[in-house]
Amino acid sequence: MHQLPGAAVFAPVDDGSGRVEVVVRRLAEAIALGLVADGDQLPAELELAASLNVSTVTLRAALAALRERGLVETRRGRGGGTFVRGPADPSTARLRTRLRELSTSELREIGDYRAAIAGTAARLAALRASADQVARLHHVVDRLEAAGTVGERRRADGRFHIEVAAAAQSVRLTRAEIDIQSEVGELLWLPYGEAVDPGEVVRSHRQVIEAITARQADRARTLTEEHLDRGTERLMEFHWRLVTQGRREWR
Amino acid sequence: MSDPHVAHVAERVHAIVEDVFGALEEIRVGMEECYRSSPSFTSADLAGVRPQIFGCLRRLRGVAAGTGVIVAPGVLADRPRWLDWWQAPPEDDPVFLDVDLDPDSLDFYDYTAAEWFAAPQRTRCRHVVGPYVDYGGTDTYVLTFTAPAQVDGRFLGVVGADVRAARFEALLLGVLAACPTQVTLVNAEGRVVAANSPRLPAGALLPEYEAQARAVAARLPDPPWRIVSSSRERAVKLA
Repeated sequence: MHQLPGAAVFAPVDDGSGRVEVVVRRLAEAIALGLVADGDQLPAELELAASLNVSTVTLRAALAALRERGLVETRRGRGGGTFVRGPADPSTARLRTRLRELSTSELREIGDYRAAIAGTAARLAALRASADQVARLHHVVDRLEAAGTVGERRRADGRFHIEVAAAAQSVRLTRAEIDIQSEVGELLWLPYGEAVDPGEVVRSHRQVIEAITARQADRARTLTEEHLDRGTERLMEFHWRLVTQGRREWR
Repeated sequence: MSDPHVAHVAERVHAIVEDVFGALEEIRVGMEECYRSSPSFTSADLAGVRPQIFGCLRRLRGVAAGTGVIVAPGVLADRPRWLDWWQAPPEDDPVFLDVDLDPDSLDFYDYTAAEWFAAPQRTRCRHVVGPYVDYGGTDTYVLTFTAPAQVDGRFLGVVGADVRAARFEALLLGVLAACPTQVTLVNAEGRVVAANSPRLPAGALLPEYEAQARAVAARLPDPPWRIVSSSRERAVKLA
């Protein structure tokens, strides 16, 4: 089945809560994945609001947020309108290519391996982490929360997983986690197309730290696995959108 | 309670710890002299401490996996942070440990936050940390012994030695095997350093209830470790 890209990107936003954020996220992701190309003009506000099924007030707030992030620009006058500005980072194109070329079975393999390593690390960390190590985990998540750039987020998130493995007292798990982070970390933190919303990553990591502090080994493992599975599912979604939609056609 | 087997374990631990710190003393003196005699202290001047570092590695052959100096930020004129750390492969010459000191890197070796650096900096006393996973550095499970180097009250950094956790355990094997009951050497944070029972292997945390149920057979003054024992016979008998 071949789906028109516009249909997915501009399908009605039916989530009742946080509509602005949902619109921002959907458009930012489409731009990050290159489904909406640099220089493309977005449909007129009324038209776009109608197809997304949001009010023009919501849409304007979303566009303002995207403007602030440098993802769209509005030009006045004749030939004016809202135009897409693709991420300037040249690595984005490379990441898109990688994400398109990795098959879903390869993405599943990576996800399975990550879950095995990080899940076990979380379980053992709950049994073995010292108070000092728990404090360091908190510190890394604080850094993740305060991060201003995608690079800082990626580093802090990677560091969190590495610190959990170190708290598990396992050199092998730590080594494996470092390898995983250098292999797939950049995919998870595609500029403007984070596999999992940064706020949700922070919440999830804090829950894992809570479980580790409470010495709830199984809970720490389950929370970690669930979090990683969400990320893997999103990467597969991204992959599908890239391979089925290719470059979008507007009109 | 004075169990002679436990006393032997305590003596052996004490002897190993004093051996390591005794050897480190040469490096500390060397580093402080090097600092005094260099008008603008740079990483190149640290070559002056190499004979002491290599001498320490020779003296601790079979015990230490690496030794060296870790300089406090701002002390060297040419580099913000620096490690002059050498590892000892069994046969060959010492190998320089190259770590990533770029704060923006995923592998950044943020040593100033590490307990083996921060504790001697704070207390100006020698310190033993571990066992712990030293990632970004040696990528091994180690105990690190460090002592502060200082001149006229200025903290220059630490001199230190790494002893692999597996090696430390092996050094205690004889005295642990001689104990008829379960004996566990536990560090200040309650982590097992070495034991003679598979139930609580090195790296495990001694659970609270176990800590209460087991008698503290000996307290070591420095590092502040404990030896706990249970009347239970060891599950595995060696020979």
